Amino acid sequence: MALVGNIRDFSLSDFLYLVDRGYKTGCLHLNRLDESASLYFDKGKLITASRKDHAASVTDLLIQKNKLTSLQASDALVAQRNDGGANLSQVLLQREYISREELQKILQQYIEESVYVLFGWPDGEFRFEQNQRPEVTSPIMPVPLPVEHLIMEGVRRIDEWGRIKDRIPSNDLVVKFVEQPGDKAKGVQLAAEEWRVFARINGKDTLAEISQKTGLSEFDVSRIVYGFLTAGLVDVIKKPKPLPVMATGRPMAEPPRVKRGLVSRIINRIRGM
Amino acid sequence: MQTVKMVISGAVNAGKTEFIKAISEIEVVSTERRATDDTKLIKKETTVAMDFGRIAIADDLVLHLFGTPGQKRFDFMWEILSEGMLGLVILVDSTRPETFRETNRIIDFFVSYRDTPYVVAANKQDKPNAWSPDELRLALRLPPHVKVLPCVAAERESVKQVLLELLYVILQQSEE
Repeated sequence: MALVGNIRDFSLSDFLYLVDRGYKTGCLHLNRLDESASLYFDKGKLITASRKDHAASVTDLLIQKNKLTSLQASDALVAQRNDGGANLSQVLLQREYISREELQKILQQYIEESVYVLFGWPDGEFRFEQNQRPEVTSPIMPVPLPVEHLIMEGVRRIDEWGRIKDRIPSNDLVVKFVEQPGDKAKGVQLAAEEWRVFARINGKDTLAEISQKTGLSEFDVSRIVYGFLTAGLVDVIKKPKPLPVMATGRPMAEPPRVKRGLVSRIINRIRGM
Repeated sequence: MQTVKMVISGAVNAGKTEFIKAISEIEVVSTERRATDDTKLIKKETTVAMDFGRIAIADDLVLHLFGTPGQKRFDFMWEILSEGMLGLVILVDSTRPETFRETNRIIDFFVSYRDTPYVVAANKQDKPNAWSPDELRLALRLPPHVKVLPCVAAERESVKQVLLELLYVILQQSEE
């Protein structure tokens, strides 16, 4: 079944996180007014993307960049048709028409630019079709792209407090690293300001304190932490506080410590219903 | 006579009333009125006070089920309802990602300050395009120890399973 929704309610960053952590394979279709885009993933990593009116085959792209001749393109297409298993990018590499590094660089640039624009959409319907694969002629990257990198770059283009406030409602929240950010951190490249914030994260300081220590504005710190958070590198937690006081003025009670025997009786009763 | 309490919470139209109706032994007491705000776009009647259900465990023990009001303006009720509760079921409408943020807000309210035993019930799993429990765990960014359970609140067996899973969590935290 497809996952459907609107990026107004469930942001593109959130969806990329879900795709990454869920090792999803399939296509995310996005539509807004007369614009549309398709992002294809394999086991949680981006393999290709295109926007309406900007879609191109891998050979068209390389010809435009003077990295491939028309003759080579035709030859590769024939070879691909004869070898049903491989996509066109793989055929180009097998025939050594282009190096792996160069193909990766060109396709990554094209695909990233297709995706970054989408972070600016304030809304748009999305539909994720599980296991849907791209056309074999699509510009499929030899090495799939980790989404953390996309999230960080996409978040750099966000300038709306509203979206950030949804995840970071207060500057009194403490920032801490997740248990094992190791592999996740590898795909992320940080700008100088982001490093300044990253280096201040210690599981004790609040966003307000990080802002004070780095000299960055609270908005900038929140935006940067929002990026880390969305990429799954950090968590924000509340500072431990005394139990809140109820509207009635009484302190809110801890949940009662119940006896095992009582719980077992309820379990037996519900099982028998 | 000892009474214990469980709370069923979730965003508007998550299925709280239906959940309690499916399992309660008494006619569920719902103080429902005609909706006057944007919730009327979702359903004609929406809960503005609370639902109350009851299961007799034995002659000397009764389980009460309370459904919280969904709308934000009734947040103050949550405090009152949550006092002394045994555990909490958070219901999510698995077909409406627009309610996930509100669900997180509710979880945050009930759980952040206290070690409340709770489970998340991914309701409406019988509907097309329902997000699976695994997908909801990721979407709500729930830690691995929190149970996210498939649920169809209209079905008694499904509701029973959710309550039992919550009771197993409570059992783990209970004392000899």
